[in-house]
Amino acid sequence: MNYRELSIDELHELLVSKKVTPLDLAKEAIALAKADTNNAFEYIMEKEALEAAEALGEPEANNPLWGIPFVIKDNFSTKGVPTTGSSNILKGYVPVFDATVVEKLKAAKAIAIGKTTLDELAMGGSGITGHLGRTYNPWDRSHSRIVGGSSCGSAAATSDGFVPFALGSDTGDSTRKPASHAGLIGFKPTWSRISRFGLFPFAPSLDTVGIFSRNVKDCAYVLNALAGRDEKDSTSSTKPVEDYAKDIEKENKNYKIAVIKEIEDSISNNVVKDAFKKSVEDLKKAGYQVDYVHVSNELLLTLFPTYFVISCAEATSNNANMDGIKFGPLSEGKTFEEVMLNARTKGFGELIKRRFVIGSFALMKENQNELFVRAQKNRRRIVDAINDILREYNFIYLPAAPGIAPKFDDASDKLSDEYLIADNHLCIANFAGLPSLTLPIGFEDGMPFGANITGRAFEDKDVLKISYEIEKLTGLKNLVAKGGQK
Amino acid sequence: MIFEPVIGLEIHVELKTKSKMFSNGPVTYGKDANTQTVPLDLAFPGTLPTVNKQGVVYAIRVCHALHMKIDNELHFDRKNYFYSDLPKGYQITQDKRPIGSDGYLTIEINGKEKKIGIERLHIEEDTCKQLHFKDFTLLNYNRAGTPLIEIVSRPELRSGEEAMKYVEKIRSIVVFSNVSDGKMEEGSLRCDVNVSIREKGSEKFGTKVEIKNINSISYIQKAIDFEVERQSKIIENGGEVLQETRRYDDAKKETLPMRLKTDSVDYKYYPEANITPIKLSDEFIKNAIESCPELAESKLKRYMSEYGLNDYDASLLVSDKEISEYYDACTKFTNAYKLLANWVNVDVLGYLNKNNIVISNFPMSPEHLGGLVNLVAKNDVSSNQAREIFTKMIEENVDALKAKQILGISSQISDESMILNVINEVLKENPQSIIDYKEGKGRALGFMIGQVMKKTQGKVNPKLTNDLLLEELKRR
Repeated sequence: MNYRELSIDELHELLVSKKVTPLDLAKEAIALAKADTNNAFEYIMEKEALEAAEALGEPEANNPLWGIPFVIKDNFSTKGVPTTGSSNILKGYVPVFDATVVEKLKAAKAIAIGKTTLDELAMGGSGITGHLGRTYNPWDRSHSRIVGGSSCGSAAATSDGFVPFALGSDTGDSTRKPASHAGLIGFKPTWSRISRFGLFPFAPSLDTVGIFSRNVKDCAYVLNALAGRDEKDSTSSTKPVEDYAKDIEKENKNYKIAVIKEIEDSISNNVVKDAFKKSVEDLKKAGYQVDYVHVSNELLLTLFPTYFVISCAEATSNNANMDGIKFGPLSEGKTFEEVMLNARTKGFGELIKRRFVIGSFALMKENQNELFVRAQKNRRRIVDAINDILREYNFIYLPAAPGIAPKFDDASDKLSDEYLIADNHLCIANFAGLPSLTLPIGFEDGMPFGANITGRAFEDKDVLKISYEIEKLTGLKNLVAKGGQK
Repeated sequence: MIFEPVIGLEIHVELKTKSKMFSNGPVTYGKDANTQTVPLDLAFPGTLPTVNKQGVVYAIRVCHALHMKIDNELHFDRKNYFYSDLPKGYQITQDKRPIGSDGYLTIEINGKEKKIGIERLHIEEDTCKQLHFKDFTLLNYNRAGTPLIEIVSRPELRSGEEAMKYVEKIRSIVVFSNVSDGKMEEGSLRCDVNVSIREKGSEKFGTKVEIKNINSISYIQKAIDFEVERQSKIIENGGEVLQETRRYDDAKKETLPMRLKTDSVDYKYYPEANITPIKLSDEFIKNAIESCPELAESKLKRYMSEYGLNDYDASLLVSDKEISEYYDACTKFTNAYKLLANWVNVDVLGYLNKNNIVISNFPMSPEHLGGLVNLVAKNDVSSNQAREIFTKMIEENVDALKAKQILGISSQISDESMILNVINEVLKENPQSIIDYKEGKGRALGFMIGQVMKKTQGKVNPKLTNDLLLEELKRR
């Protein structure tokens, strides 16, 4: 039987009625993972998954994740299972503990199928910088398009229908951008809503656990399992959690939605623009207030440099533990400096070395005020501008990306407004720690593209509810890549 | 030219919390290498720091003792550098907002009090311990993450002696407040000294030399005195002091160069995003202060005002926390505080020195010592007898009465009328002695006391006998 297009609700019904067993699902997912042609996997947890599936016992009618297979981005620590962050520097590393999110999904009796590829240590947006090379977009059978990153493997595996949901991480847009390229739901909840314990840090002030799914309600189920205070992450929120799936279908016509005109205007692709405009019209017709609001281009042009300075600065220090002494390849050297230099030179890829240098440069005493501190101050300006909008509106609604997934050899003009604004605005939600969700709204040349809805901090449930509404209006749910199917 | 030394101290104190500053790894000493660690201590990817509350309580106690301003919000920063003993590649510390700032402590120099300003006190974590060999280095992560406080003085110390007294005072505070063992020899209190000299009266600072690795309090004074002398000679000879780090070699009794300090390292401090700022409530700070055990300074005052001890005895008692605690415990069993102080300072300390043990291994309970002191206080036994009893009590592990019984010592006669009867008997029998005494022959008194002793087999209280005999003689 083929379960790859089913939602969690549908799978759950089959499991509870015992028409299918967790082992059936795990076996199918593993078979699909083994036949994967998109370079989505770092490691397939065949033995672990089959054992876990066999050990499940009686179905739990009130636990929608019972027996459901999923995959894990390889920057989450998994006990006894190799975890590389798709970097050579962690080749052969087998953690001794589970990340809290992994522990929680195990406790919910979901079945982990494998560890997925990413841009090296989550730094990148293309899915090409991991140590296993390019990860391909399953929607494009010719393997000429990126699926996006950094959570490339999780996006590919979910959109290819191997599993109904996946763990990602999101520092700038690493879950939400690939979701747009892969026709998926990509959700970055409020910062601190989900414990980061066991997630390899990239930039802790921005890092958030991300969720991929193929429909909004599935995403809510996963958030239900993951949200909550964790004593191991002192930044995790003590605010009570909600049942994010309950009454998700109940409409709230009082929601007010803002669209930032300057961001929409920075897009040149008319297919994307028209689809987005149509979606706005549909929301209005459905009875929601949608208004255009303004944020100056001058401020929007600072998004990318601000993100880059802050994230690189934090990244350089977060990865300083990989020095060839505890982590990283054992290297020769007469002094400890030589050992470290050799290990890091050998272990890290060129692109992230460049980020470390930039981050280090930004933190140097003579540059810190001009670069890092200035970026922090500008982050505050951006957050203030966004929160001003969110005081009046529940959500900000925008195209998630300027177009469909680019081809590997597409070069974008890194100084154009389109790149700096339309391709990089999703980091706003990371700056402000806001819940932010990408979902599909249309296709061009058979490739999906998405829109993004960002809400107020801790109003994750409202973000899911309005997303559910939009999903209803577009009718785009449970998409599975056609290109990838043989 | 008259030179004036300018000395500033940076003291690191290891806190004796149960677990580490940012992990639940245990804080221990002397355990097998690399057995006292959890993933965070070795910087496993994905581990996150959580703040040890007790460490914060301890830091507040010391801040309070040093009259510092205590920040009501906790902020942590990262200090970034690569070093083989540094697990994460950065140290979590407090750069911009140390928990304590602007304090002072008072030391006594030549009978005069001097206030030494303290710039800051901040919380941080220790590195792992390195053991260097010719071709390799061993790393022991047991110490990695142990809570530290760093106390930075203002450059207001002017001699090796002042510096030594300052460190002694800091040590006393951290030990009495129960926050640290304060053992320089074991590295739980570590001291870096900055020394420069300048012409007396000058406002400008000279070139600063840092001395590291001083592992006992007495070496602090020696190292500084040597360094001041060394720098003075260089300048007198028209030379220039190099900005460098030196170490003190206690065998050669001199400071030796370790490395030149060129441009100082850029630690690229920036806020630790994995610990959001933590508000410290007034109540939390108040509790931290009020739960602090009594410090030496306050004990000293109490011993003098409440117990009537002299400065010497009281100071000796509070020079060691455990001894003062032993003394405090004894005071529950006797009110003869001065006598007790004498016994602790002379006999107990003598015993400890002779047997080379510390007070925690002293076999006599405070109750037993209190009992012995009571016997002496009410003149039941003489001082010499009491010393015999003291020894026997330890030998047999018994209380004073039992030891006295074993030794066959009978109680002294302190009944005045009984002693008076014997005195009158002796006077009656020795009329010539009375005459000799009145004529000023000193020996006569000794003879008569001897006679009283003889008649009572030496059981009378000698002092009382002496007093009564003198009174009696006056009447004749």
